[in-house]
Amino acid sequence: MKKSGSITSPSWSDKFSQGLFFGLFCHEMCFLQFIWVSHSQITRLYSRFTSLDKGENGTLSREDFQRIPELAINPLGDRIINAFFPEGEDQVNFRGFMRTLAHFRPIEDNEKSKDQNGPEPLNSRSNKLHFAFRLYDLDKDDKISRDELLQVLRMMVGVNISDEQLGSIADRTIQEADQDGDSAISFAEFVKVLEKVDVEQKMSIRFLH
Amino acid sequence: MIQKNEHNSTGYNLLSLYGKHVDFCEINLEAPLKIIIVSVNASPGGKGSGFHLYHKLPSIVPESCLLILVGLLLGGIIFGAEEKSPPVMNSDVFFLYLLPPIVLDAGYFMPTRLFFENFGTIFWYAVVGTLWNAIGIGISLYGICQISAFGLTDITLLQNLLFGSLISAVDPVAVLAVFENIHVNEQLYILVFGESLLNDAITVVLYNLFKSFCQMRTIKVIDIFAGIANFFIVGIGGVLIGILLGFVAAFTTRFTHKIRVIEPLFVFLYSYLSYITAEMFHLSGIMAITACAMTMNKYVEENVSQKSYTTIKYFMKMLSSVSETLIFIFMGVSTVGKNHEWNWAFVSFTLLFCLIWRALGVFVLTQIINVFRTIPLTFKDQFIIAYGGLRGAICFSLVFLLPPAVFPRKKLFITAVIVVIFFTVFIQGITIRPLVEFLDVKRSNKKQPAVSEEIYNRFFDHVKTGIEDVCGHWGHNFWRDKFKKFDNKYLRRLLIRENQPKSSIVSLYKKLEIKHAIEMAESGMISKVPSSVSLSDYHEGKIKPLSPTEMENMREILTKNLYQIRHRTMSYNRHSLAADASEKQAKEILIRRRHSLRESLRKTNSLSRERPAAANTKRFLSLPKNTKLPEKLRVRNKTSSRVGDSSDSELDASTTVLNLRPRAGKILRDQRLRQQRPLPEFRVEWKNEVDGSQDGRGEQQDPSTLPQPSIGFRQPLLTRPRFGTLSREDLTADHGSARPMPPPRLVRQASQGDRQRNKPENQLY
Repeated sequence: MKKSGSITSPSWSDKFSQGLFFGLFCHEMCFLQFIWVSHSQITRLYSRFTSLDKGENGTLSREDFQRIPELAINPLGDRIINAFFPEGEDQVNFRGFMRTLAHFRPIEDNEKSKDQNGPEPLNSRSNKLHFAFRLYDLDKDDKISRDELLQVLRMMVGVNISDEQLGSIADRTIQEADQDGDSAISFAEFVKVLEKVDVEQKMSIRFLH
Repeated sequence: MIQKNEHNSTGYNLLSLYGKHVDFCEINLEAPLKIIIVSVNASPGGKGSGFHLYHKLPSIVPESCLLILVGLLLGGIIFGAEEKSPPVMNSDVFFLYLLPPIVLDAGYFMPTRLFFENFGTIFWYAVVGTLWNAIGIGISLYGICQISAFGLTDITLLQNLLFGSLISAVDPVAVLAVFENIHVNEQLYILVFGESLLNDAITVVLYNLFKSFCQMRTIKVIDIFAGIANFFIVGIGGVLIGILLGFVAAFTTRFTHKIRVIEPLFVFLYSYLSYITAEMFHLSGIMAITACAMTMNKYVEENVSQKSYTTIKYFMKMLSSVSETLIFIFMGVSTVGKNHEWNWAFVSFTLLFCLIWRALGVFVLTQIINVFRTIPLTFKDQFIIAYGGLRGAICFSLVFLLPPAVFPRKKLFITAVIVVIFFTVFIQGITIRPLVEFLDVKRSNKKQPAVSEEIYNRFFDHVKTGIEDVCGHWGHNFWRDKFKKFDNKYLRRLLIRENQPKSSIVSLYKKLEIKHAIEMAESGMISKVPSSVSLSDYHEGKIKPLSPTEMENMREILTKNLYQIRHRTMSYNRHSLAADASEKQAKEILIRRRHSLRESLRKTNSLSRERPAAANTKRFLSLPKNTKLPEKLRVRNKTSSRVGDSSDSELDASTTVLNLRPRAGKILRDQRLRQQRPLPEFRVEWKNEVDGSQDGRGEQQDPSTLPQPSIGFRQPLLTRPRFGTLSREDLTADHGSARPMPPPRLVRQASQGDRQRNKPENQLY
C-alpha cells in the first residue's frame, strides 16, 4: 500500500505526496469494495483526519481522539476511541480510520442484491453488530461476560443506581439473551436479541453514503 | 395626541413615555388600557403558573395559540364594554419595541456553526422560496380576482402582488413558539428558523417595492432592476451594520473589567442601536440585529464576567418572553372589532394558495438544493419545513401599515391575513406534533419490550453520536477554516481582553471544575462510584426470573438513569436556559473517566509487577489492558479551594502519578522513582484495591486515600489543551526528555502553558 502510515516527521514534500497519494489509495480501497464511500466523503474525512492529527505524522494517536471535546463527555468515549486502534497498536492511519468509519455507512437498498459472492461489505448488518459486540467484549473471547456487561452498564448509567440494582439489571439482560446457559452472551445470541432492532438505521451515519 | 397626556390616567401616561409613536388617537383609552396593562402584567405570571401547571396543555397546544385566545377574550371584553373597536396594535409599537427583543434573543442563542454550515440552504429557501411564494400567491390571487362572480375585480395585479409578498413572510416568532414543542433535529430547526429570519430582507424589499409601484403611475423595466438591486442593498447593508456594531460592542467590552455592572447594558444598547440604525436607513433591521447578536455572542461572551453573562441571558429571555406575550395578545385583541370585511372567496383562496404554494415551493426547491447538499433532505424534512412555515405578527403588522388611500379594500386584506395567521398558528401549530410523530413511526412490533432493549438502544445511540463526533459531523470547510485563521490572528486579539483562555471549551471546563471541585471536596462523591472490585463480584447460582412488576421497576430505573445522548445544540427554548441536566451528566462522566484513568495509570505503573492478566480488566472501568494512556493532568494552584495545600506534602510518599507536581519533569522523575521503590509499598497499595474495604487500609494509606478523593477533585477533570492551537514547538519540546513510561506528549506541555494563563482566572468575581 502506498503511504499508509509510518511517516514520522513529514516534510513539505511528504505532505504533498501524501495528499496526492491518498486519492490513489482511495481508488484502491473502493476497488476492493470494502469501503464504498463517495469521493467527496473521502475528501472531507481526510481533511478531518488531518485536522485531528496534530502531530502531522499521518497517523492518529489516542490523544488526538481524546482532544475531541464531545467524545470526552460521551459515556462510551473511551471504548469508541479504542475501537479505532487495531489490536495492541497505538496509532491509526487513514486507512484504518476509514475502515472503522465504514462500518457506519448506511446500507443502500441496491447494494443488498449485488455481489453475493464477494467479500461482505463492512457496513453489512452482521459487521455492524460485530463492531458493537467488540465494544462490549474487551478480552476478545467472543463472549460478553457479566463483568463486561456491568462495566458498560456502569458507564452508561449515572451514579444513582446502586451496585446491586445494576447487578440485577445485568443479570436480567444476560438472562434474556442467553440461550445456551453459560451466563454470557455469545455473538450469535447477541445477534438474536437484536434481530428486532433496526441496527442498520441505528448504526448508520447519513452523510457517510 | 399630545394634549391627551394631561388629562389621562396613569395607564396612558405610562404608555406616553414611549413617545410619539403610540398613536391611539380618537379613542378614549382609560379603561381599556388599564385592562390591557393589568392583564398583560398578569398573564406572563398567569402564563407561568396557569399554563405550566397543567403540563399537558403546552405540549398539545403551543403557547402562541393560548395567548391569542387570551387576547381574543380580552378584545371581546373590551368590545363588549366599550362598544367600540379595541385599540389596534400599532405597527410602530410592534416594529420598534416588540419585535427587536425577540429577534435579538433568537439571534443571540442561534447556534452559529450550524447556521453557517447550512447557510446556503437557508439562503436559498429564504430568498428564492419567499420570492416564489410571493409571486405565486399574488398571481394566482389575481387570477381569482378576475372572476367577476366574487366581486373582487377592483383589486389590481400590483395590489395582489403586494398582498402576496406580505403574506408569504414566515414569521420567526410563530415558528419558535411552535417548534418548542416538537423536538426536531437541529438541522431542521435551523433551516426553518434561519429562513424565517432571513426572509425579512426579502419581505421588506418586496413590500416597499410593490407599495411604491402601486403609487407610481408607470413602471419601467429599470424600476424592476432597481428593486432587485435594492434587495441586495437592504440585506447586505443590514448585515454590515449589525456586524459593525457587534464589533464595536465587543471592543467596548474589552475594557469593561472595571465596570462590570453595566456590561449587560452595552449588549442591549448596541443591538438595539443596530436595529434602529438599519431601520433608519430603510435597511433590514431584523438582519442587522441578528448579525449583531451573532457577532457579539462570539466575543462578548469571553470578555464579560460570569455574572454579566448570566444577567444578559436571563434578561434577554425575559424581554423576549414579554414581547412575545404582548404580540400575541395584541393580535387577539385586534381581531375583535369592526375593521373587517369578509369575502368568502378571497379569504379561502388566500389560505389555499398559501398552503399550496408553500408546499410546492419547498418541494421544488429541495429537489434543486439536494444536489448541492451533502446531507440530502428527506421527505419528512420537507414536510416539516413546508408545514412549519407559519405566519405571524409580521404579516399582521405589515397589513396594518398599508395606506388605505391606495388600498380601498384594506379591510379585506386584514381579514384574510388574520384568517391565515389563525389557521397556521392554531391548526398547523397544534397538529404539527402528531404529524411529526406519525411520520416517525416505524414498523416495529410491540412485543413485550425487554429490559435490555433500552440498554441496547441507548448503547447504539451513544456509539453513533461518538462516531459522528469523530467524523466532525459535517466536516471541515475551506471558508470556515480561513475565517477561523483570520479570526484568531486579528479579530480576537483586537476584541478580546488578554489573559483569556482562547477557547470557550476551556472556559466551560473551568466553570465546571470550579463548581465541581468545591462540591466534591465537600461531599466526597467519589465514594459513590463503585470501586472496580465490586463489579467483579460474580454471583454464582441461578438467575431467578423476575415478575412483571420487577421488570417494570427495572425499566423505570433504567429510563431515568441512563445517560442522555448528547445533543449537539440545545433545542431552543424560550423559557429556559441551558441544560443543567446535561451539564451534570457531563460532569459525572468526566469524573468517572478521570477516576478510571487515574486507576489505570496507577495500575500501569505496577503492571510490570506480578499481576495476573485477568485482574487488569477489572481495574479499568473502560479500557483494555494494553492501552497506553496519556496522563491527563493539569495542576492548578487553586488556592481558593477548600482542601488545604498542606496535604500536598503528605501525598509525596505514597501517591501515584497523579500527584500535584506542576512540572512535567518532576512527574516523570517521580514515576521513575516509584518504579525503584521497594515492593511493599506497592503491595500495600494493591491490597488497598483488592480488599476494597475501608478497614483494610494500612495506616499509611489514610492520609493518602482520604484527602485523595478531594484532592482528586481539586484537580481539573481533564486537561483541556487549546484545541486546534497546539503549535509545533509544543510537540518538539516533548521529544527532548527521555521517558520510561507512556509518553504523555504534548498534552502536558499545553497544560503547562495553560496553567500560567489560568492564574488570573483564580480570582472569583
